[in-house]
Amino acid sequence: MREKPTARESAVRTEGLWKIYPQEPRPVEAVRGVDIEVSAGEFVAMAGPSGSGKTTVLNLLGGLTRPSRGKVWIDGREISALPDRELAKVRLSRIGFVFQSYNLLPVLTAAENAEFTMLLQGVPARERRERVRRLFAEIGLEGLEDRMPPKLSGGQQQRVAVARAVLADPALVLADEPTANLDSAMAEALLDVMEQLNREQGTTFVFSTHDPRVMRRAGRLIRLVDGQVEG
Amino acid sequence: MVRLPTLSWLALRNLGREMRRSALTAAAMAVGLALLIFSRTIADGAHEDWIDAGVRLGSGHVTFNAPGYRDGESLDDRMSRAQVEAALAAIGDSGTSGQPLASVRVATRGLASSPDGALPAFIVGVDAATETMFSRLGEEVVDGRYLQDGDRLHAFLGVALAERLGLRTGSRMVLTAQAASGDIEGQLVRVVGVYDSGVEELDRTLVHVPLGTARSWLGVEGATAVAVLLPHSSFTDPLLDGAEAAAGRAGLEVVGWPETQPDLYSALKLDDGGDWAFHIILFAIVALAILNAIFISVLHRKRELGLLRALGLSGRETGLVVYIEGILLTVASGFVGVGLGLAVMFLFFRDGLDISGLMPEDLNFGGVAFDPVMVPVIELKHVVQSALLTFVIGLSASLYPAWHAARLDPAETVKVD
Repeated sequence: MREKPTARESAVRTEGLWKIYPQEPRPVEAVRGVDIEVSAGEFVAMAGPSGSGKTTVLNLLGGLTRPSRGKVWIDGREISALPDRELAKVRLSRIGFVFQSYNLLPVLTAAENAEFTMLLQGVPARERRERVRRLFAEIGLEGLEDRMPPKLSGGQQQRVAVARAVLADPALVLADEPTANLDSAMAEALLDVMEQLNREQGTTFVFSTHDPRVMRRAGRLIRLVDGQVEG
Repeated sequence: MVRLPTLSWLALRNLGREMRRSALTAAAMAVGLALLIFSRTIADGAHEDWIDAGVRLGSGHVTFNAPGYRDGESLDDRMSRAQVEAALAAIGDSGTSGQPLASVRVATRGLASSPDGALPAFIVGVDAATETMFSRLGEEVVDGRYLQDGDRLHAFLGVALAERLGLRTGSRMVLTAQAASGDIEGQLVRVVGVYDSGVEELDRTLVHVPLGTARSWLGVEGATAVAVLLPHSSFTDPLLDGAEAAAGRAGLEVVGWPETQPDLYSALKLDDGGDWAFHIILFAIVALAILNAIFISVLHRKRELGLLRALGLSGRETGLVVYIEGILLTVASGFVGVGLGLAVMFLFFRDGLDISGLMPEDLNFGGVAFDPVMVPVIELKHVVQSALLTFVIGLSASLYPAWHAARLDPAETVKVD
């Protein structure tokens, strides 16, 4: 596992980030000149109403989509112009994703889902299993290792997704409205887990939300309105 | 590629989850392949049967002649006795596996006459004992018997010729032809038997007489041809290759049945072409079914495939997962298809497939009577070809879905529905 960051190094940074979707009759400017910097170990929420560009910014930070203009640095490396294969390597080694709709691979068990990114990274089987066992115990998934995703509750599935995101030891975990499909108790429990991992392992989290309760738990809040950072 | 085992494992899991769809897709391929193998083995069996029938009634799988004989069929272009011996030696020395059967023949075109008239005939002097094993005419007797050792002034003729000349067993007839000396010579013979080969042309022209009778009547010491019957048509080229040099040294030419029976050869090629056209249409349909099944499966799994991209697979690797699914389906279908095809073939192995209800009686094909009972024969080459064709088609049909999967936009596909 990575060392817990001690210096205020930048986990992710953007400069003049634009995303314009070509569309008739006028192109849609989803993100308009966003400059963000998140230091390693931060727990940052990106808030804003629907259509404010939160998901697009997260996709740009995670290299899932390419900016129309501007640049993105992950862990000090500029990724905006990387070819597909290199970008895939960056996602694999530096970024963890948690999506709103769980997004577990339905053909794999909970444990297999959690260790899938490590499997792609080539982490030895014994180490993978040990890391999964320890983390599942920490986040209340013990005993659910062999369950298939449909046999897990929404909260459990989302915790497996968080486990998958953090187990690969990324520089940054991007979570797109991770609590949106959960009831308040499950949402609180998930945030507890994310906070715990941020606090104990130093994992950097950037998550989008429009839920005030979730915003209150963030270490820092970035507000987006009409594709721009407010204030 | 380092991650190939992981991608293969994932592909296998994906197939396992969609077991019914996977099984249906694989079944389409397997049944297609089984049909292909079965129809190939039936066609191979039928073709071998036609070749066998053709060469037995004609001049064998391989024929030795003096140069020029095949152009004019003139006794001027006959083989000497030494050349006949050389041809027989060349067959023995060729190293051909199986047991080639050589029939020394003296053949000429002439007239067959009776009190009812005279008709053109193709008269062939044969060794009765050898010809009994060589030709199928002895099995087609409708009156009397075939020639035997010891027969001298006897003849065995087709039913059409016998009817036209008013002949039957015991009747006498005169055969007239130009002898080696150039003179027209006649030979009185007695009919020992009449055959019905089912091939009109043979039944009204071909007459067998004892070899000794033909030699003395026509003044020929050697022969016009040495015809060779082989256990299987596939031995033809090896015998030609093995005997060509020796034949050349003896001043002889040696040719295979495709040259001596071009009509039969063309008919087989035509039939083969028709078969392949049918198979290509069949497999085009199967390919579309596979493409459709895999493509639909990709469309249903867009989010999962997008998730793989988000988790760190490149577009190419994501496409590879889908392609491996296609490969696994194809390989599984290949095994099942070969097994199924051979199993169906074995059902017809003993009694053959009887299609007499679907065809007219006495159907001729390339100068050979068509046997409506087709017995399958395994030609390993064709089974392998069929399996390879399935493999190529399965892999080709998987390309587009894989390409589509590789090009999915991860940001779009992981969106909430």
